[in-house]
Amino acid sequence: MTGDVTRNVAALFPIIALGFAGAAGMSQAQVPSARVPSVQVEGSGTEAHFSRGVQLMQEQMFEAAAGEFEQALSVNAADPKARFEFAVCLLSLGRNDEARKQFEQVQKLAGESRYVTYYLGRLDLLANDYASAIKRLGSVAEDPPFPDTAFHLGVAYISSGDVAAGTKWLERAAKLLPRDYRVHYRLARAYSSGRREQEAAREYDLYTQLRDEHKNTEKDVRDCTSGLRTEPLAAAREACHRIYDPNDADKLTLLGQLFGDAGAFAEALDPLKRAVQLDANSFEAWHNLGVTYFRLNRYKEARGPLEKAVALRPEFYGSVVLLGATLYMLGDDEAALLVLERAHRLNPADAQTAAVLEKLRGRKKE
Amino acid sequence: MRGVTRREFLAILAAGTAGAGVSRAQEPGGMASRGVRPQPRGKPSGLRFHARFTDVAAHAGLRAPVTYGPSDRMDYILESMGCGVAFLDYDNDGWLDIFLLSGTHREGPVEGATNRLYKNNRDGTFTDVTAKAGLVRQGWACGVTVGDYNNDGFEDLFITGWPQNILYRNNGDGTFTDVTEAAGLSHPGKRWGSGCTWVDYDRDGRLDLFVSNYLVFDFDKIPATGKDPNCNFKGVPVNCGPRGLVPERPMLYHNNGDGTFTDVTERSGVGSLKPGFGLTAVAADLDGDGWQDIYVACDSTPSLVFRNRGDGTFAEQGLLSGLAVNEDGNEQAGMGIAIGDFDTDGRLDALKTHFAEDTVALYRNAGHLVFEDVTLRAGLGVETRYVGWGDGIADLDNDGLPDLFWVTGSTFPEVERKHPEFPHKTPRVLFRNLGGGRFEELLDAAGSAIAEAHSSRGVAFGDFDNDGDLDILIMNMNEPPSLLRNDVRGGGHWLKVKLVGTRSNASAIGAVATAAYGGRRQAQAVLAASGYLSCGDRRLHFGLGAATTADLEIVWPSGVRESVKGLRADELVTVKEGAGVVARERFRS
Repeated sequence: MTGDVTRNVAALFPIIALGFAGAAGMSQAQVPSARVPSVQVEGSGTEAHFSRGVQLMQEQMFEAAAGEFEQALSVNAADPKARFEFAVCLLSLGRNDEARKQFEQVQKLAGESRYVTYYLGRLDLLANDYASAIKRLGSVAEDPPFPDTAFHLGVAYISSGDVAAGTKWLERAAKLLPRDYRVHYRLARAYSSGRREQEAAREYDLYTQLRDEHKNTEKDVRDCTSGLRTEPLAAAREACHRIYDPNDADKLTLLGQLFGDAGAFAEALDPLKRAVQLDANSFEAWHNLGVTYFRLNRYKEARGPLEKAVALRPEFYGSVVLLGATLYMLGDDEAALLVLERAHRLNPADAQTAAVLEKLRGRKKE
Repeated sequence: MRGVTRREFLAILAAGTAGAGVSRAQEPGGMASRGVRPQPRGKPSGLRFHARFTDVAAHAGLRAPVTYGPSDRMDYILESMGCGVAFLDYDNDGWLDIFLLSGTHREGPVEGATNRLYKNNRDGTFTDVTAKAGLVRQGWACGVTVGDYNNDGFEDLFITGWPQNILYRNNGDGTFTDVTEAAGLSHPGKRWGSGCTWVDYDRDGRLDLFVSNYLVFDFDKIPATGKDPNCNFKGVPVNCGPRGLVPERPMLYHNNGDGTFTDVTERSGVGSLKPGFGLTAVAADLDGDGWQDIYVACDSTPSLVFRNRGDGTFAEQGLLSGLAVNEDGNEQAGMGIAIGDFDTDGRLDALKTHFAEDTVALYRNAGHLVFEDVTLRAGLGVETRYVGWGDGIADLDNDGLPDLFWVTGSTFPEVERKHPEFPHKTPRVLFRNLGGGRFEELLDAAGSAIAEAHSSRGVAFGDFDNDGDLDILIMNMNEPPSLLRNDVRGGGHWLKVKLVGTRSNASAIGAVATAAYGGRRQAQAVLAASGYLSCGDRRLHFGLGAATTADLEIVWPSGVRESVKGLRADELVTVKEGAGVVARERFRS
């Protein structure tokens, strides 16, 4: 999609801050580390750099994130997880040749991975090597690592001149990503090229409808953000609730984040609860729901969502430290100690966490 | 003890984890910039480029700056958009003259700020004949289209601007007369006319007039700089718009043949669509059906394609054609449009320029009004740094393959103080055609004038020194224009074609000539406007590479088809509709 590798919530609302969990990482949200073949080599330095890299990717600060992963790799060059994330950062930065080399290194370290194959296919596509892109993306398309695999495969076929095969894969992509206007636009163009006018018209209509919805959402978010900054909550609420879509987890998460960013935690609760019902694998939704309960002093209810968030993203320091704090607030000092020790490994520079840990350890000795 | 510790802990978390504290994406600003990262640059081809450009404006006598608002800031979008330029032969002496539009200051008239006409002295210099020609005028001029609307053999001028447009009739004696009112082209109130093009949409042999309008503008009603998210760029308060302002509809005027025009905007269907932020308008037969279509670059709204139904009405088919948005279905900040045949397959393709952090869009014509966005495939995604304006698909080195060129410049001079990576003045962009649908950006291989930084807007291509290559005229904001003289080495041959209509309009605007040479077929259209709000040399220029002859097929706006075989290279041929070649000229050098 025109040199842009950002996807998911960040792609749907590319100009919008994603709130108190930070912006959704371009790949991180879809590439849980556990899925990447890993060679476990522990080391506090490596882990801390890796965690910071993950955090920076979440904030879309890819240059800085790449630096952290590089440092992690300087401690342990054989860590495929760090190398994989480093490669994804490089791709995000448009350093495609370097990214390719890193992905190839990951393959050497950890063997074949459909995630790596997917990214190498994307790189082929960006390099206009359609034959290789088709081969790679085609090899993972039946068990796709990401929902947009069929889309990129379709684009590769179309670009290579095989409109029929491209159309077939774009049709599949439209089923997998029914609300992505870009998919419907490409499919409409493919139908137009094949002189399939009726089907093209249908897809253009869908594209137009989804594009309009997207633009309206952008406007609603601007109005909501502006209202939350400048108006009383009651006045802002009306604008914000235009974003509410009970069937769209991304929009619900976004709405929760906007409320959360403005400190309106009570307002954030309902959309985030609904979001995790719709998408049980959304790290952002779980994390933000946990934050929201936490900020409302509802520690018992915060625990579950934060545990879920940590399970989805064990390297994300923000979730881990907040889970530790929640356990602490619930009086489960033993569990809190374990979690906060992990948080401290992820971010040894956090003096406050270190201080709390010190107190907990002292109390344990008592 | 425990309670105190918990409060401390909560405070820590409130500061460090929950709530704000994560990076926030930039506000969108008023332009459709997509934040696209450039594609990596490939290895240089190592091939020599045989064109060299030198800015000879000062030597040529083009020393007066083009005033357009204050030079250090742009408080209003009107001050930021600049204007077009034109190459024309107003006195029919066979040498291109120059017409430069101008703006002014909001506060009041600026001494010396006027549209200017420069007569070609045929020795590389020009003489300012503005006053003698009766063209002194100060205001916010925007676009220009050149064409012989009354078929008297002399090129007339139509100028858009705020708050009124102007029609100048060429009297044939070196002077012009403002006939706007008499022609029925003045309008009540204030309107911001932007793009304009002569077009014989009904094939009656007379040039009609299409005008795009940008947005509703009033100095007293536009929000102040930095007022809302549409008035910010990278966190810096800037002029507002176009997003957040009120878009406009285009207009179409029918030429009655008696010096007057009738507004047919509604009747033709041009006025029935949703308003947009229309800028450059180009008329050409895009679907090859013999009827002139109109392509309008729109700024941050989908661009428009008016397909001529052949019955006096148009159908808007931007989306269906693929020319409205980019390949992902996103609208872009359309500024300039170039029409040409970059892949020499005999069909007219299009190049559209946009805002910074976005690519241009190169559309390949696949026939039947289906265009493919081939921007990334062509290798153009490497350049996303600058705001692009006037552009051209033109064979600059006479190798037989049309190259791509555009000028650049920021609309927000205030931004570079905080973000040096977004300078106000930026270089020109040149992509040489490698063949096979691929291009290569030349950063310093085409002469110093390409790398020079200006905040440019309009651009026109033409051979002002009649030496067999294409030179480039550029409008620079609050600076004198640039005149890039092209000195081509390498021995590539060329053919120039001047078309004169008889049944068609005398300027032959809308004619398509396809040259066959060296195994290629390259189509070119006679355009009355192109680039950004500008107008180039009406004489078509074909680089022929090593070929020494070319065959020509012409489709005249009247529908008449004509073929000319075995034309010798390195000549200007004049073809009169229905009469074939009526003149040949070899240039001195």
